[in-house]
Amino acid sequence: MVRHVWQRDLGTATRLVPGISTLLFAVLSLLPFHIPGFGSIAPSFALMAVYHWTIYRPDLLPLFVVFAIGVLLDLLNGSPYVGLSALVLLLARTAVLAQRRLLIGQPFALLWLGFFLVAAGSFFLEWAFVSIMHVTLLEPRLFIFQTLITAACFPIGSYLLALAHRAVPVAGV
Amino acid sequence: MRLSAPVKAAAQRLTLPFLIFVSALLAILGKADVMLFDRARVVMADAVSPIVEAVGRPIATISEGIAKLEDMSTVYSQNQELREENDRLLQWQETARRLDTENAQLRDLLRFAPQGAVSSVAAQVIADSGGAFLRNVMVNVGARDGVARGQPAMTGEGLVGRVVEVGDRTARVLLLTDINSHIPVTIEGSHERAVLDGDNADQPRLVYIQPKAELTTGERIVTSGSGGAFPPGLPVGVIASVNGEIRVEPYADLARLETLRIVNFGLDGMLSSSAVPSAKPLRGIRVPASDLSH
Repeated sequence: MVRHVWQRDLGTATRLVPGISTLLFAVLSLLPFHIPGFGSIAPSFALMAVYHWTIYRPDLLPLFVVFAIGVLLDLLNGSPYVGLSALVLLLARTAVLAQRRLLIGQPFALLWLGFFLVAAGSFFLEWAFVSIMHVTLLEPRLFIFQTLITAACFPIGSYLLALAHRAVPVAGV
Repeated sequence: MRLSAPVKAAAQRLTLPFLIFVSALLAILGKADVMLFDRARVVMADAVSPIVEAVGRPIATISEGIAKLEDMSTVYSQNQELREENDRLLQWQETARRLDTENAQLRDLLRFAPQGAVSSVAAQVIADSGGAFLRNVMVNVGARDGVARGQPAMTGEGLVGRVVEVGDRTARVLLLTDINSHIPVTIEGSHERAVLDGDNADQPRLVYIQPKAELTTGERIVTSGSGGAFPPGLPVGVIASVNGEIRVEPYADLARLETLRIVNFGLDGMLSSSAVPSAKPLRGIRVPASDLSH
C-alpha cells in the first residue's frame, strides 16, 4: 500500500518531465557556443522538444506550457517580437499533432525527415514574419542555414529526449 | 467551479485559436516598443542569468578545450607570427610615445580642454540570441556595475555594438550586425560621413553615403560621433567590398565574443530614456580617453 502511494507521487512528478525538458532545451539554445564556423546561429532545441513530446505524449505538454515557453524564449533572446516563438511553436505543435498517427512507431530516418519539414516550415514562418515587419525581404540564407543546423542537431536532441522519456510513466497510468 | 461537459469541450477547442491569436498580437505589438516588454525582458534576464551562467560553464570549458587543441597544433607558426608582430608593435610603441609627447605639447599650446574621464567595465558574454534575425548578446554586468543604455561595447579590436537593455546584473548588447543597428560613421581617409546599417549578415552595409564618394576596400571606418551616442573615432572596421553594396568587415570578431568592455564616455546620447538608469561612472578601471579612441 505504502509503495503504491509512493509510486503515484513519483508518477505525478515525472509527468512534468516533458515541460521541464522543453524549458531546458529552450535555455540550451541561448548558450554561447563558440565553435569555429558555427557563427552565432544556434539550433532551435525547443522545437525538437515540442516535436518529440507532441508525437509521444501531447497530453503532458499542454498548449499553455508551449505558449509560456515560447514567450519566455523570446524574452530571453531579446527578440523585438515577443510571442513570435510562441506562435511558431504552437503552429508546429498543431501540425505535428495532426500527423502524429503517421509518425508514431516509424523508423528514425522518417522521424528525422518529419522534423526537417517542421523546422523548414517554422523558419519560413519566422522569415516571412520578420520580413513583413521590416517591410523588406530579409536574406533567406541565414534562415536556411538555421533550418539545416537545427535538423542536423536533431539526432543529439532526440537521444537526450529519449533518455528523459524513460522517466515518464506510460500513458494511462 | 465545475463546468458542464459541453462548456469544457468548447473551452478546450478554443484554447488553441486563442493562444495563437494572443502570441501573434504580442509579436506585432512588441514592435511598437511597449515599455512592458522591455521591463519583462530585463526582469527575466536578471532572473535566469545565474542558471544560464551555471549551465554555460561546462560548455565554455569544452569550447576552451577545443580552442586549446587548435592552438597546440599551430604553436610553432603562431610563435613565429607573434615574434614578427612583436617587432612591429615595438616600432608602433616608439611612434606612439613620440606622438603622445607631441600631442601633450600641442594640447598645452592650444589650452585644449580634455574629454571627461572615461571608465570601462569588463563583461562576460553569458548568452547568445542564436536566432537568424537576432544579433545580440547578454552580458553579466548591469546597472549595479554602472552600465547604462546607449553605452558602446568594445573588444580590444574595435566596436561591437551598444547597450540596449540594462537589468540589475545583466545587460543586452545589440551587435552592429543586427538589423536594428544604425551607427553613424566616418570613413577615416576621406572624412566622408555614412551610416553603418546591420542586416543580420556578418558584414554590415554602409548606407547614406555621398554618391560621388570614392571608396576603396581596406579603408578604415570609425564612429563619427553624430547624434551624440558614441564619441567620434572609435574603430569599427574596414571596407570589405565596394561592388554594388558597400560592406564593412568589423574589426571585432562578432561570431566569437567572450569578453567585452562596456565603456562610459560620459555622453548622454539620444538613446537615453527616463525609463532606464542614467549614466554614472562605471565601477571598473579608469583609463585615459586617449587609450580608447585611437
